[in-house]
Amino acid sequence: MSESFQLGGRGVVKGRAEGIALVADATLSFWGEVDAVSGKVIAVGHPLEGCSLRGCVLVIRSTKGSSGTPLTLDLAKLEGTAPAAFINVEVDSLAALGCIVNQIPMITDLEQDPFASIRTGDRVVVDADQGVVIVTRDC
Amino acid sequence: MVLTPEQQAILEGSQGPYLATCMRWLVEWGDVMGARRLIRVDNTHALLPVPNQMARGARRETIERYVEGLREACRHRTAPGCYCTLHVNFVTLDDITLKENDPEQVGMQREIADMAAAAGFIPTFTCAPYLVGNVPLKGEICAWTESSAVVYANSILGARTTRHGNESSIAASLLGLAPEFGVLLDENRKGTLRVDVAADLTSPTDWGALGYVAGKAAGLGIPVFNGVRRPSQAEAKQLCAALATSGGVTMCHIAGVTPEAPTLEAAFHGDVPAPSLTFTNETLREAYQSLRQRTGDDIDSVILGCPHASIREIAEIAALLRGKRVAQPVRLWIDTARGTKGGADAMGYTKIIEDAGGCILCDTCPTNLRIPARRIVTSGFKQAHYARGMVGAEVIVARLEACIRAALAGRWMGDE
Repeated sequence: MSESFQLGGRGVVKGRAEGIALVADATLSFWGEVDAVSGKVIAVGHPLEGCSLRGCVLVIRSTKGSSGTPLTLDLAKLEGTAPAAFINVEVDSLAALGCIVNQIPMITDLEQDPFASIRTGDRVVVDADQGVVIVTRDC
Repeated sequence: MVLTPEQQAILEGSQGPYLATCMRWLVEWGDVMGARRLIRVDNTHALLPVPNQMARGARRETIERYVEGLREACRHRTAPGCYCTLHVNFVTLDDITLKENDPEQVGMQREIADMAAAAGFIPTFTCAPYLVGNVPLKGEICAWTESSAVVYANSILGARTTRHGNESSIAASLLGLAPEFGVLLDENRKGTLRVDVAADLTSPTDWGALGYVAGKAAGLGIPVFNGVRRPSQAEAKQLCAALATSGGVTMCHIAGVTPEAPTLEAAFHGDVPAPSLTFTNETLREAYQSLRQRTGDDIDSVILGCPHASIREIAEIAALLRGKRVAQPVRLWIDTARGTKGGADAMGYTKIIEDAGGCILCDTCPTNLRIPARRIVTSGFKQAHYARGMVGAEVIVARLEACIRAALAGRWMGDE
C-alpha cells in the first residue's frame, strides 16, 4: 500500500526529475560539506552527515557557505553523484547557478512546510515546469 | 529579463557557442534570482580551478571533461575595461613535495593559468583578492567568487557583488555583464537582523566567533552589528569569512564602519528592529568550544591564513616565531597569496618563518589540498569548521598567539 499527494510550489530551475527524498531542516555548503565523488555529506555534526545525495530529492532550507557549491555540483554531476532535484525554502544564488548549469530542477515556496509534509524515504517527483511536487509514501 | 538587441544576439550565437552559453547562464540565473536586466560589471574575481583532491577517486573522464571546460573559457578574452582577477584554489603552483599536490593536476593548472593570463585575467590566486591589489571602490559593480571576499567587498569596501560561482564569474568576466539582483540594488542592502555585541572582542579570531554565531542566525540574510568598535582589516576578514561559513551571508553592516551604514538607522534604512541576538562573552566562549571537541592535546598541524594572510599578519607571525623552533612533528602552514609571499620574501619574514620550521603555502590551503592531519590548531573559524569533514581531523580554533604557542610546544597549551 502507498499513499500519494501533491503540493504546489514555484519552479525555480525548470525540469522534471524524481528520486527518494532526503529531508533536513538545515543548510548545506556543497564545497567543504559534500564529497563530490562519493556524493556523501561529510560535514561533522550535520543532520545529513554520512548520507549519500546521489539521485536524491534534496529537501533543505537552502545552500549556504562557499562559492564552490556550483563547482562541486559540476563534479558530482559528471560523476553521477549529484542530487536529482532540489526542494528549498529559500533560494541561494549558488544553488540556483549550480542547478541551472547542471540541469537539476529546483522548486521552492511549497504550499506546505516541506519539513512537515515530506519525509526522508518518500518517493518524490519534482516537476518544476508545472510547479508541483508529487509525493508517494509506502504505508 | 529584458535584453538589449546586442545581448540577445550573443545569446543566439553571434559571438560563438561558448559566449552564447555564458549569456544563457547569466540570463537564466538572472531570471531565477529576479533580475530584470544585465548590467555592466567593472570588476570580477573568477574561479578556474583544476579539481585536484576535490575529485579524488573520480573517473578520468570527469577530470578531462571538467578541465576541458576551463580551457574553453580561456580561449576567449576578458571584457574590455573589466578588471578581472583569478583564483585557482585546489593546488599550489610552487614546487613542493607533497603527494596531495598531484603533479599532473598542477601541470594542468599551470596550462590553464597561462591561458587565463593570456586571456586577460590577472593571476592573483587568492581567496582574498582585496589584499593583493583588487580593491574595488564604494559602489563598484563586481562579480566575485570566494564567499568570504564577497562579504568583505560588500560590507567593508561598499562595493557590490552577489555570491558568484565559477560559471557566473567566468561569464561575467568574458561578457562584462552580470544580472542585476540582490545586493546590487539599494533596496536589497537593508539589514535583516540586528546583532547587539556585548562581548569584549580582542583578536581577529574573536571576530570570527562573532561571524560564526551571527551567520548561523542570519542564513541568507543581512546581519547588522551594533555596539562594536571599528575592526582591524584582519578582524574584518575573519568576521566576513565566518558569516559565509555557518550562513550564506552576502553582506553585513557594522554600524559606523560599513560605508553606507554610518548609523544603525542607516543600516536598516530607517526601520530599526529589536535585537535578534545579543553576543555576550558567554556566547563568545561557547563559539570557541563548538570547534574544540577533541580526544587529546597533542597536535600535528597548525594552520594560519584562512582567509589568506595579509603582509601585516605574516609580519606578526614572524615576530612570534623569530629565533624559535616549531616542535616536531608539527607542520605549521601560513596560507597566503603569492603576491604577499613575494613581499614577505623581500622583507625577510619568509626566512624567519622558514628558519623556525614554518611553511608559507601559496595559491591554496591545507584543507583544500586535503593534507592528512589528526589534530589541527587554527586561527580561522572557517578553516576549523570545514577541516573536520574535509580532512577528518579534530580541530581547535584559537587566537594567533595560542596557535603559535601550540606549534612551538607540539601540543595545545590553552588560551593563555
